[in-house]
Amino acid sequence: MSISVAQDRGRGQTGLLLVLLPVALVATLIIWPIVRAVMDTLIVTGPDGASLSFASYRFFFTDAHSMGNLRITIWTTAVSVSILMAIAIPIAIYLRFVTGRTAAVVQALAIFPLFVPSIILAYAFIRVLGPNGMVDLILGSFGLPRIRSPYLTPWGPVIGFVWDNLPLSVVILMAGLSNVTNNAVEAARDVGAGKFAILFHIILPRIWLSILVATSFVVLGLFSAFTFPYLLGPAAPEMMGPFMLRTFGDVMDPVQARTQAVITFLICAVFGWFYVRSIAKNRARREAA
Amino acid sequence: MKRRDLMKLGLAGLATPAIARMAHAQTARINMFTSSDANISDFWTNVIAPAFEAQNPGVSINVVIAREGGGTNVIAERALAALRTGAGPQMDMIESHDPFIPAGGIDEGLWVNWEEAGLANYGRINPLAIQSPFGLPYRGSQVLLAYDADRLPAADAPRTWDELSTWIRENPGEFIYNRPDRGGSGGNFVRRAIHEANGRDPSVFTIDNFDPETSPAMLDAGFELLAGLAPHMFEGGAYTSGNANSIQLLAQGAVTMIPAWSDMVLQAINEGVLPENTGLIQLQDLALSGGFSQAVVPVNAENLETTIALADFLLTDEMQNAVITAIGGFPGVSWEVLPAELRERFADVVPTSIPTFPGGDWGAAISDGWYRTVAPNLPRE
Amino acid sequence: MRTSEPFRPDWIGLALVVTLSIVIIGPMLVVGLWAFAEQWRYPSLLPQQWGLRFWHQTLARPDVWTALRTSLQLSFVVTLISAAICLPAAYAFARMKFWGRDMFFLSFLSIQAFPRFGLLITIATIFLSLGLVGTFWGVAIIQLVNTLMFMIWIPTAAFQAIDRKLEEAARDVGAGPIRVFWSVTLPQALPAIVAAIMLTFVGTFYETEGAWLIGAPHVRTMPILMISFINNQLVIQLGAVLSVLLWVPSFIFLLAARRYLGPQGLGRGLGG
Repeated sequence: MSISVAQDRGRGQTGLLLVLLPVALVATLIIWPIVRAVMDTLIVTGPDGASLSFASYRFFFTDAHSMGNLRITIWTTAVSVSILMAIAIPIAIYLRFVTGRTAAVVQALAIFPLFVPSIILAYAFIRVLGPNGMVDLILGSFGLPRIRSPYLTPWGPVIGFVWDNLPLSVVILMAGLSNVTNNAVEAARDVGAGKFAILFHIILPRIWLSILVATSFVVLGLFSAFTFPYLLGPAAPEMMGPFMLRTFGDVMDPVQARTQAVITFLICAVFGWFYVRSIAKNRARREAA
Repeated sequence: MKRRDLMKLGLAGLATPAIARMAHAQTARINMFTSSDANISDFWTNVIAPAFEAQNPGVSINVVIAREGGGTNVIAERALAALRTGAGPQMDMIESHDPFIPAGGIDEGLWVNWEEAGLANYGRINPLAIQSPFGLPYRGSQVLLAYDADRLPAADAPRTWDELSTWIRENPGEFIYNRPDRGGSGGNFVRRAIHEANGRDPSVFTIDNFDPETSPAMLDAGFELLAGLAPHMFEGGAYTSGNANSIQLLAQGAVTMIPAWSDMVLQAINEGVLPENTGLIQLQDLALSGGFSQAVVPVNAENLETTIALADFLLTDEMQNAVITAIGGFPGVSWEVLPAELRERFADVVPTSIPTFPGGDWGAAISDGWYRTVAPNLPRE
Repeated sequence: MRTSEPFRPDWIGLALVVTLSIVIIGPMLVVGLWAFAEQWRYPSLLPQQWGLRFWHQTLARPDVWTALRTSLQLSFVVTLISAAICLPAAYAFARMKFWGRDMFFLSFLSIQAFPRFGLLITIATIFLSLGLVGTFWGVAIIQLVNTLMFMIWIPTAAFQAIDRKLEEAARDVGAGPIRVFWSVTLPQALPAIVAAIMLTFVGTFYETEGAWLIGAPHVRTMPILMISFINNQLVIQLGAVLSVLLWVPSFIFLLAARRYLGPQGLGRGLGG
């Protein structure tokens, strides 16, 4: 008993040592600046000294315009992530179980957007799906009517995000799927499990951590994304990314802009907390086993 | 003769610090940042830099191109951080920047005050162009209406605000402007609507008369006009995110008319982005507002003296002529101080004055008010 | 295709290829066409005037090559350091108990989740006081911070998901802890590590915010140059040319990574 405790303590120090450098980097270059930014939003310097105030947060949550922008951000994020996972999970599963030249091509195609800067994609989007773009040209040459362009509507950024984040999701899911052994699938098939049973009982339980990782990365990227909502989305309601930068640079209200940033951050942090909790649970379950 | 004297003065003012500096450093490299359109960075690289370098051996100008919007704001933030820590900002000048950004910059004394900088040419500046003592207006441009002359014969092009409104209503979906904070062509179209709703008198708005009590109502009257037009705009009220995006929609034939910066639309026609038969027209009852680029220099610039000499150089006849001839811009100095020959040659192209709209609190209120009242495109009776 | 059904055509695969080609290559083909177009106006289906004018303009610029070299150096250095400090940390987060573990793990979220504009002054102050503004290492450090979340979260999830029974089996036959890690744990986590390295490399290559805040005006990376090419540009050809240029190294990288990411690589990693 006493030996195992000592061992634990030793491992504890090793663990701390191993994470020391990355944690120190984040603490000085990210956490410390965040603390200062949060303090900016909470402390109001008046004629009689500094005092604590929640006024900027009260303004945000009572302002219909700000709340509308928050809602469209949540809507865009939810829709984009759902579509993305609906596309990426089947592709990743396909790539895990199929080999050959066709699979190689599928993989190259799915990863390709990783190498396309978003600004170039935005231009391509406008040229292809924009008014009188390529799709309209092709339809027009067959005498068909023009499409209702998603350019400058909330669907513009959604399409951009799905396209742009496909490689990230596929790569992370594929890495997760490497934990699904052929033996496990064969064994399930031998006892007569159908395709869906294998999917729900063998594959999904093993990759749900990866799904969570992929979802977290995409959500975080989307929440303060700038290029797509700015170039492809509507003027109002606008997503939090362009909204914050506009409040900061154009409305020249840095305190309100930082308040928006803190609120965005807290929503993401709640999401991250779920992820950390599920990792911890996973660990606890394994340690108990 | 008077002009010659001024020129001499200008050159004298320029020569002294340059010589003084040359004694210390043979190779000053001025880091000049710009986030303007490509024609402006080309103007700096091909016209201003060679001319200044020729007069100041050992000096070179490094033109650093930032992405639109955020790019130069980040550099300004960094300069403020440098000022607080006493370090060098590695930036000598931003060619066009709102001195009110970053917030608190002016209060902490970040920018050189041009009124006190001792520029020999400062007195030549067009007083209407000065918005703040911290921004040096060295070039201006105007916003016009650009249209597809195939679909709208020049004779039928609208010439007043009322004609324009009528045309927009009768041709739904054929007009688009960009969001007012995302480029001056849309921004100045919005300002023109505000002028329209306030008696077409630009002098009503000055840099220091914004009043949080009464001013919003003046702006709202202009927003009302725009909200009335919104359902007749492209896609029933869509707005592009920049000057260039509007020009692209015009080029693709998706719309018939847009507001556009004069220099930018001329460049687009030259490069074949827009067809030759693109029509240009200015409203006759009151021109669309224009704008002046405010050059700023941080007080902690590494090459402060040389950069101030450069600022003075920008206001010389030579450079102001170049603003007109090379980029089709509007001079930062008063027309009267420029050669008469030049004035006559460009009388047709460049108006003698362009209405402007003050920035600062007005700019912030216009942008935010537009986003809150016009952009949501709520169903209206 | 599964080996037991060698003659069945891969219909799903073909359907995926066709769909993805239209959706992914279609728009890029349009960009590719733009790179060779000197004039292309509605309603023409193809450019009215073809030419290499913009290729000459791009390739003749010495700064393009300097920027490419800077970007590659930065990406290699940052990815290498990131892997060196993050992979041990990821293992610790997945396997060890220590004070503040969950809190530290969550703290990496702040890198991606807090919008950077609110932090600029404080970050710039730190770098200014260290004399790192405008230097290669200054940019490398700020980009290194950006990579931490990818490099820790993805491998942590992988180390977590590893089947412990295999490790125990190896230990039962007398393998030491390092040998178990090297020949059992690491191979299983390898696909995730490769994925994290690849995402880090590409993410660093295309990073602009940090490179601009800390690097300007002396360190100029490829995307910064690219932004200056297509900044407010009416002519999108220069940007298109640069993209097409960058796709070539990307494809080579992709082919190299494929060996590890591809189905065969994964299969081998699993020993099956």
